[in-house]
Amino acid sequence: MKQLNKTITGLVSFVLIISGYNGFSQSAQKASVNIAINYFNANNSIPHLVVNAKTRVNGRFQPVGGIAVKLLLDKDSAGTTIGKVVTNEKGEAASFIPPSVKQEWASSKTHTFLAVFDGNNKFEATKADLTIAPARMLISTNDKSITATVLQLKDTSWVPVKGVDLKIGVRRLGGDLPVNETPTFTTDSTGQASADFKRDSIPGDSKGNIVLVAKVEDNDQFGNLSVEKTVPWGGKFKYVSTFDRRTLFGTRDKAPIWLIFMSGGVILAVWITLILLVRNIFAIKKIGREAR
Amino acid sequence: MENSIQGEQIIQDLLPRKFKTGGKVWIGVLTAICLVGAYAYYRQLRYGLIVTNMRDYVSWGIYISNFVFFVAISLVGSLITAVFRLLGVKWGTPLTRIAEMIAVGAIMFASIIIIVDMGSPERFYNLFLYGRIQSPIIWDVIVITTYFFISLLLLYYPLLPDIKILLRFKEKYSPRLYKFYRWLGAFWKGDHKQYLLSKKAINALCIAIIPVAFTIHTVTSWLFATTYRPGWDSTNFGAYFIAGAFLVGAGGVVVAMYIFRTWYRMDKYITPEHFDKMGRVLVLLSLLYLYFNINEFLTPFFKMKESEASYLNDLFTGSFAPMFWFAILTGIILPVIILLFKQGRRPLPMFIVGIMVVVGAWFKRYLIVTPTLLHPFMPMHDVPSAYRHYFPSWEEWAIAMASLAGTMLVITLLCRIFPIIPIQETIDHNHETVK
Repeated sequence: MKQLNKTITGLVSFVLIISGYNGFSQSAQKASVNIAINYFNANNSIPHLVVNAKTRVNGRFQPVGGIAVKLLLDKDSAGTTIGKVVTNEKGEAASFIPPSVKQEWASSKTHTFLAVFDGNNKFEATKADLTIAPARMLISTNDKSITATVLQLKDTSWVPVKGVDLKIGVRRLGGDLPVNETPTFTTDSTGQASADFKRDSIPGDSKGNIVLVAKVEDNDQFGNLSVEKTVPWGGKFKYVSTFDRRTLFGTRDKAPIWLIFMSGGVILAVWITLILLVRNIFAIKKIGREAR
Repeated sequence: MENSIQGEQIIQDLLPRKFKTGGKVWIGVLTAICLVGAYAYYRQLRYGLIVTNMRDYVSWGIYISNFVFFVAISLVGSLITAVFRLLGVKWGTPLTRIAEMIAVGAIMFASIIIIVDMGSPERFYNLFLYGRIQSPIIWDVIVITTYFFISLLLLYYPLLPDIKILLRFKEKYSPRLYKFYRWLGAFWKGDHKQYLLSKKAINALCIAIIPVAFTIHTVTSWLFATTYRPGWDSTNFGAYFIAGAFLVGAGGVVVAMYIFRTWYRMDKYITPEHFDKMGRVLVLLSLLYLYFNINEFLTPFFKMKESEASYLNDLFTGSFAPMFWFAILTGIILPVIILLFKQGRRPLPMFIVGIMVVVGAWFKRYLIVTPTLLHPFMPMHDVPSAYRHYFPSWEEWAIAMASLAGTMLVITLLCRIFPIIPIQETIDHNHETVK
């Protein structure tokens, strides 16, 4: 009996240890999350920030949605809060730089954006920063030649920046089409880069307008800058709606004429024959009645 | 004098007969199956299509397989009646009415089963009110209605001389049946003018039914081929369906020939020669269908496009492989091998081959519909596991079996009311042979 008690006690202790161990392991470790900040300025208007949150799952980066990230300008103090954003299913969140940080923005020629995630039950707290020197871009055209200029604020004036890589293209539905065979251009000492427009056959809107774009992408110093200009260099595009046409996929009142005639002709030919054959029965009947 | 004695004998042999116990039991069994099917359909109407195992993947299941099978078997009416008649094939005379009865029964249930497949049959009329002439479904509705009407006329016109004969035997029929015969054809006097008009009409119907028959099955194949799915995206489908339809139709006639010959002791009229000739027809049709099957499967197998690979592998070596190879072997290859030998074209082996062809054809229709639907080009994300498999529910089986029983019931009742073999045509044929 004693031996049995010992065995039972031993088994129970073992089970408790195992279950205790499992229970302990169930308070899973929080995963780390990577946060990246991107700076955008389009057409020299109000800049905005885009935050990307990712985590590594089975060796692959997966977007992290639904986490709240606090965005700050230069430091965490009163008057420096840009906003609090929540990432979407793609792990992205965006915020414009609000007027509330105007004073802080004007106080320096370079700025550091801070992204702070306080952590939650799944992910550990983390921070990220990005330092940017505000810059602006200009675009001008002359006889199918495009010039893009990059300027940086120094002291109180905008000065040209040399050696910045940029792209010059035409806005299309699926992306930007380079204006010629050169993929990227670099600004010279005047801060300018020029490209010849070689997309003469490109269709524009009804007036032949197309949108030119010059852009700096993922620059370490300036972030993402872009500027657009509309020029009448494209072909005039006349939109022809096929929505209400007679097609095989149209509604019943929009059946193709050829189909209506063809099917109608066949149906009529067969059914007129059949009706005549039914009439024939009555003719046979009449002969039978007369023969009585 | 001898001719008239022979004629009277033919009439006595071929008059419709009352059912004995076996016939009554047969009718009872078919009616019981139909009633179970009716109850299953009541459940489907009450609870909706959820009682079936059709889901978002397999939305056309056993009902549509049955529909294609019925349309296929109905094509026999045009083969035996029209093609044989126009080609002057005299030996086919005793088989014409059997073929037409099968055609009428099958096409009736093809129409019914398509309505059964509808979730809301009470909205059926909308098909006529709002149907689009661009849709193959509307083409199918039009062509099935037309084919049914032609088949009825083709059954009716050659019946007129026989009805005159039936009316001579008032004592043999119930008053109601006799009245029905009178309504159908008391006006037929066998007048020369009547005969000419009738002959003209039958010729017109024989000519009309062939393109309509080709259209009915081509359009049915287009219901599939105009849908972009693995296995259906084929330009071969029209010809492939028609070849298969002629084969199953001929198989059905062979089965019916044997049953009627044995049941009604019609050895004198449906002879081993008929079986031998139908056997040759079956070999030709099997080889033709085999050719279209090779066309249908060899080239996709050779290319093995990624989007079709899972469907083809499932068919050739996967879960559908036993059924696929059973249908090919039993329905096409074995019949050719058996029927190439003269011994194989005797009545009993022919009957067995006929059953093999019909059963193989039914499974072939199931294989045309179901595996394709289980392998869409763009699979849905995270679908319930029930979507990925299909096996009909008891309601589906009951309704499908009821439709098959219903077809046989219609054929049986037509055989009870009308002569299975055209009496007047047989007498005329006999006179010509004696001359």
